[in-house]
Amino acid sequence: MITGGTRAAPATTAGPGAPRLTGSFRAGIRLVRLYATGRRIPAALTVIVACALGLRIALTGHWDSYGALQLPLVFEAVAATAIAATAASPLGEPERLTGRWLPYLRLAATLALTAAAVGALAAAGTGAHLAGGTLDVLRNVAGITGIGLLCAATISGGLAWIGPVAYLLPGVYALYTQWHHPALTTPWLWPGRPPHDLGAAICAGLVFAAGAAVIAVRGARDLPGEQD
Amino acid sequence: MTATRAPARPVPATRRPGLAPARLLGLELRHNAMLWMMPVAAALFWFTAGRKTLASPPLWNLRVAVMQPNAVLAFASPVAGAAAWMGSRESRRRTTDLVNITARPRPARLLITWAATTCWALVAYLACVAVVYGVTARQATWGAPLWWPAVVAAASLAALAALGFAAGTLVPSRFTAPLAAIVAFFALGLSTQLINGSQSYWLISPVVAGPWDLGPNPEVGTFYAYLPDLPMAQVIFLAGLTAAVLGALALPTGSGIRTLRRSAAAVTTAGLLVAGTAVVLAGTGRLDAHGMIAIPALHDAASDRPLRYTPVCGHTAIPICLNPAYASYLPATEAALAPVLGQVAGLPGAPARISQAAATYQQGPGNSVGIGMAGSPIGGTHPVFHFLLPVQLAGPVLTTSEMASQLRSATGPGILASVTGDGPGASKAQHAVTTALLMAAGVVPPGAPTAGNNVPPPAAGAGGERYAAPAPGSPAYAAAQRFAALPAAVRRGWLTQHLGALRAGRIGLRQLP
Repeated sequence: MITGGTRAAPATTAGPGAPRLTGSFRAGIRLVRLYATGRRIPAALTVIVACALGLRIALTGHWDSYGALQLPLVFEAVAATAIAATAASPLGEPERLTGRWLPYLRLAATLALTAAAVGALAAAGTGAHLAGGTLDVLRNVAGITGIGLLCAATISGGLAWIGPVAYLLPGVYALYTQWHHPALTTPWLWPGRPPHDLGAAICAGLVFAAGAAVIAVRGARDLPGEQD
Repeated sequence: MTATRAPARPVPATRRPGLAPARLLGLELRHNAMLWMMPVAAALFWFTAGRKTLASPPLWNLRVAVMQPNAVLAFASPVAGAAAWMGSRESRRRTTDLVNITARPRPARLLITWAATTCWALVAYLACVAVVYGVTARQATWGAPLWWPAVVAAASLAALAALGFAAGTLVPSRFTAPLAAIVAFFALGLSTQLINGSQSYWLISPVVAGPWDLGPNPEVGTFYAYLPDLPMAQVIFLAGLTAAVLGALALPTGSGIRTLRRSAAAVTTAGLLVAGTAVVLAGTGRLDAHGMIAIPALHDAASDRPLRYTPVCGHTAIPICLNPAYASYLPATEAALAPVLGQVAGLPGAPARISQAAATYQQGPGNSVGIGMAGSPIGGTHPVFHFLLPVQLAGPVLTTSEMASQLRSATGPGILASVTGDGPGASKAQHAVTTALLMAAGVVPPGAPTAGNNVPPPAAGAGGERYAAPAPGSPAYAAAQRFAALPAAVRRGWLTQHLGALRAGRIGLRQLP
């Protein structure tokens, strides 16, 4: 019988009272820690913090209109790519077979990292002129992360970066066309839309929801022989 | 007795030199990530560079100047990302120890993997360039393909592949490929932020196709030869950078025998020196009078001679002649200026021909560039009026109707003013006659509000400035309305008789019919 990891470690040393609960909690913490380590989540968090610092430093510089508007998108794309990169599993099939909590862990990790990225980048823009503001950060990070997660599920976890990286250029181009008409106004190119644009927010939200759902349920696709 | 022969010992096949690397390259080409990134790169190129390039006027210089930076940016992320992915392959597949014991030295194996990645990147890029150049060759009315910008972008791909590959090899991680891809884009896209004027070291960035903030300039390579000075410096820099990065791959301990590592160190040092020299050369560049960057150490003085061409001329009352590169603008130019030319054709002192001139460029403070026309707009025994097409001036790309409107409002008054002698210091009568002729030609609507001041009109032929008619209600305006209301034959007759006196300033407003 295959059981989940949390039940595999009985609380043998616990006394009467609530020994099982304590053991389960510890096992749960350990499971989360192992999951985070296996998915390189600490490294992803480091990248996100580095992005926030980089954005903060960059915002202190003098940029022309193009640079000021396009700069945050580049950092948002890096953060989203780092989140998508955590979707790849180093264990593959055995983990899928034995991990009952895996969908929840995947979903929780995705949501937590996305929230951390949005929070860090928004905090980096506090007190400086962050083009688009927090709403723009939320929409762009969520949407581009969704693209990365969909790529992880369809191409492979290791190559999940292709989607966000490929989307970055049209996104930057959409911003560029705000000066050089004809402007690209499709909501699917949400970086080029104003922060309060409902259509763009819906598109980005849909992509993120789809990506998070697919990753939570199926996980990233494994390429044979690829490990990290 | 039967004798048996011992079977002949198998003779090892003679190995042809270069066969093994070629076979290895073939294997790498078949298993390279860039092969699968080619559609992505081509799609990005088409979305951001191809459409934009082909939407610009069919001038070789303009299209290649639009293509070069956009192609580099479109390919930067896919190439750097794929190269980093390939660089981290051995670590990702846990085969580092396995391949380290093969006969082929590690630097040679890495070099072949980089070469395969670069090959596919170049194949995708050249296919995109072939489309742009092929379409332009069919549409352009004059000139030949300019290859230097295409070479710069190709050299950029090799350098980007080397940088990405080195990153993947030295720091194999799941984050390396995406970071390499985005950092490449970031570094290239924002490298232009630091350019200040034409003497900037940052002009070495391969996304710079000419004087920064002048934008793609249609004039480059039409009246004067295209200067390859800056592209040459860029290619030298990219070649040096590529050599330095690839050489550095063989530097770590365990990469090979000592001789190999020493050679790699020499290559790295030489590459860095070459790249540094190119940066210094780019810093010595200056904006020349023809709108291009000239680098003294790379400059060929023969390039400064004007190009010889046979102008294409129209069939208006006074023929309009354009540089053949601008032949597609001739119908719009004729349509815009024909009413004005009809007013003065055949009059004494009227130009015999309207001819497009070359613009002259002067570096201003910062990144500003002054564009104008050298010399007097009209001159010669058979007077020729020289003018600039609005597309020769800096600014956004104009539609045909926008260009025609600018010609009517700026060049049209200039032509008339050259006949009436109007300009700064001219009499009110000269100003009134110019305005009247513009009214008759439909450039200044009679009775409509105008600029509303008595600012004298711009010097004839000056580019871009709009004509300021006399303020409505002023005596000059009333005289202009009166003169414009005359029948065309009467107006022409009066001008034929009195134009000399008018030009000399001997006619006052009250003497106008």
